[in-house]
Amino acid sequence: MSRPAQRVGATPTKRLAEDGGESPLSSGLRKLDLSSRSTNLSSASDICPVCKSSRYLNQNMKFLINPECYHKMCESCVDRIFSRGPAPCPIAGCKRTLRKVRFRDQTFEDLALEREVDIRRRIGKVFNKTQDDFETLKDYNNYLEIVEDCTWNLINKVDVEETEKRLQQFAAAQSQEEAEISGTSGTSTPRNYSTPDPSSRGLLKKSLGARHALDKSQSGASTPGANGDSDTLFTFKGLKKRIAPPPEKPYDPFGGWSTTPEYYVLQDFYDVGDWLNKSRDDPAHLAGGQDIRDFYTRALCDAFSGFGVFVEDEVAGRTPEDPVIATENAAVAAVSRDVNMDDVF
Amino acid sequence: MALSPMDSPRSVPGPAKTLAAKTKALAVQNAASSPLSSGASTPTEGTMDLAEQMNDQTRKQFVTGARLGEGTYAIVYAGHYRHDPTRLVAIKKIKVNADYKDGVAMDAIREIKYLQELSHPNIIKLHAVFSTKDQNLSLVLEHLPLGDLEQLWKNKDVRYGGADIKAWACMLARAVWFCHKNFVLHRDIKGNNLLIAADGNVKLADFGLARSFADPFRPMTYNVITRFYRPPELLYGARYYGGAVDVWSMGVVFAELALREFFLPSETDIQQLSVICDVFGTPTEETWPGVSKLEFYTPPSNPSSRPQPLQFWRARFGILGDDGIELLRAMLTMDPKRRLTAQQVLEHRYWTNAPRPTEKEDLPKNGGGAKVMGEDLKRRGGEIESGRADKVARKLFG
Repeated sequence: MSRPAQRVGATPTKRLAEDGGESPLSSGLRKLDLSSRSTNLSSASDICPVCKSSRYLNQNMKFLINPECYHKMCESCVDRIFSRGPAPCPIAGCKRTLRKVRFRDQTFEDLALEREVDIRRRIGKVFNKTQDDFETLKDYNNYLEIVEDCTWNLINKVDVEETEKRLQQFAAAQSQEEAEISGTSGTSTPRNYSTPDPSSRGLLKKSLGARHALDKSQSGASTPGANGDSDTLFTFKGLKKRIAPPPEKPYDPFGGWSTTPEYYVLQDFYDVGDWLNKSRDDPAHLAGGQDIRDFYTRALCDAFSGFGVFVEDEVAGRTPEDPVIATENAAVAAVSRDVNMDDVF
Repeated sequence: MALSPMDSPRSVPGPAKTLAAKTKALAVQNAASSPLSSGASTPTEGTMDLAEQMNDQTRKQFVTGARLGEGTYAIVYAGHYRHDPTRLVAIKKIKVNADYKDGVAMDAIREIKYLQELSHPNIIKLHAVFSTKDQNLSLVLEHLPLGDLEQLWKNKDVRYGGADIKAWACMLARAVWFCHKNFVLHRDIKGNNLLIAADGNVKLADFGLARSFADPFRPMTYNVITRFYRPPELLYGARYYGGAVDVWSMGVVFAELALREFFLPSETDIQQLSVICDVFGTPTEETWPGVSKLEFYTPPSNPSSRPQPLQFWRARFGILGDDGIELLRAMLTMDPKRRLTAQQVLEHRYWTNAPRPTEKEDLPKNGGGAKVMGEDLKRRGGEIESGRADKVARKLFG
């Protein structure tokens, strides 16, 4: 946290030393840098609100918070109180049950900000639509408005219960939709969100609200529509229907190019004289791998190439964007004066 | 030939495209013979005849940029279209060759002749050809900045798996198949000549040794294809061969991709043959009918070697799977008559079996850059990387 601020304040000499070589000055400055950072994190006035132990007594004191109530306490208190399972918060007036696993470092000094960021992160995971999911920009903006209302309610503790319920229902509807899409596309995704059967263990881990929402969606009375209908208590106008990606086409080794001749059928043998027949039995031709069928193919291809090519149609179908490489004179000459263009090959 | 009705993409039947190709071809032809063809000129402004005007117009479409590389044969520049600087090209300027004082070098003729006809996503695109004042030919080629397949397997920082190999090999097979469908023998397929486009497509380049299929009793030279990739029939001096030579080279490239080292390296042509025989067994009249009639065939003096068992292939090419090994061995069959054709290669079940080939956008990439492209394009056909190019005799006629 304190690092960028120091960087801004750093003298040009310091930056130079950081980028390049090591100098006594730079190493001295780095020491300074370290010490200033540690003082910044641990002011002498740090006192744990639970055990009243201070930094003066314990040099390595570290404070942790729990996103349940955001009350700060020192690491040793957390170990002491919560090692044997969930326990109520020791801060007076706070009766929330906390678990040890959820304790963590705080990122922001302002705990209100910390809480807001957590809430926004949680909401961002559920409301993860992008502008592409909406028909118009206005619809997207309306959606953002709803999301922001929801966030505001949670941050400012307005209708928290109601909002949480809506949030969970929306999340459940989303995951069900996801499961439907991955089901129709026919591919088995590793993370399958398909609705679990009620006896599965995964469900037991879910919070009561989520279980409730799932039960509701599973009851089948009203399957939530793709637009997040009344069931999720959210109505988003102009939300596009999510379509499963088309199944992957089988691989074509030829890359979409065809070879079947249109105007003739190739035979294995053509009796066109001794000269050609002799090469079929000539040992030099046989051992070298020259194939008489290549010759047949080529002769027929040459005979029939140009079939189905109509100069008038090509000229009519020509577009101005066509990359004209030759001069216009040549193109005009090719059309008007009946020059045999094929001869250039 | 690329204009023939049979070989058009199913989706785009574009007649407009065909005309563009024709007019391009005309421009190409005029550019190639600009000092000679003054007869067909119509009275125009100045002293320039029609061919010179067209050449001028083509040249003015492109802006030549930095020099990317220079070889004995050509100089490669970066460039772009004048009207659209985002469309990059590589301009290969062919040097005036001492061997061909009176005309254009054969390599250039071959390259222009075949590239202008082949239009396929896995074959390098020739945008235009023009000549400059000093009679140098410039080929405007597609911009392929991501190096080549050989650099890719040599670069140990790049990791790839079976699906990636399948994707690259399939693109190579498509390119070769398309050449053969249009009766063009490439005759210099190797990792170095398989350049990678910005979108991951592999493109067959360097048609300096290409030619069209010969008619019966019309001999061809056997001194083509870089040695490591040269099939046994050419080493035995066969003069009547077909598409099978390219399939062998393709098989060797395929094997190299899986091995990440040269599969059949050697110092001399004789040694090459012995390396091949060590792996595939000495050919006999039973395994290869007519082999003893070939020009350089000598009956084996020492006890002839047996082909390596399947275990050998499984140990080295496990990454390809059993289908891949079967395809590889079918592509590397000694007898060219029994070797798969390019069409049969693509019809093999290896391509459609699991794993599905990686999409070209997701293929591992090697940061080659424009410099590497310059190195690749300046090379002359048949050269080996080591710089001992003088050892490779180049008989271009015959």
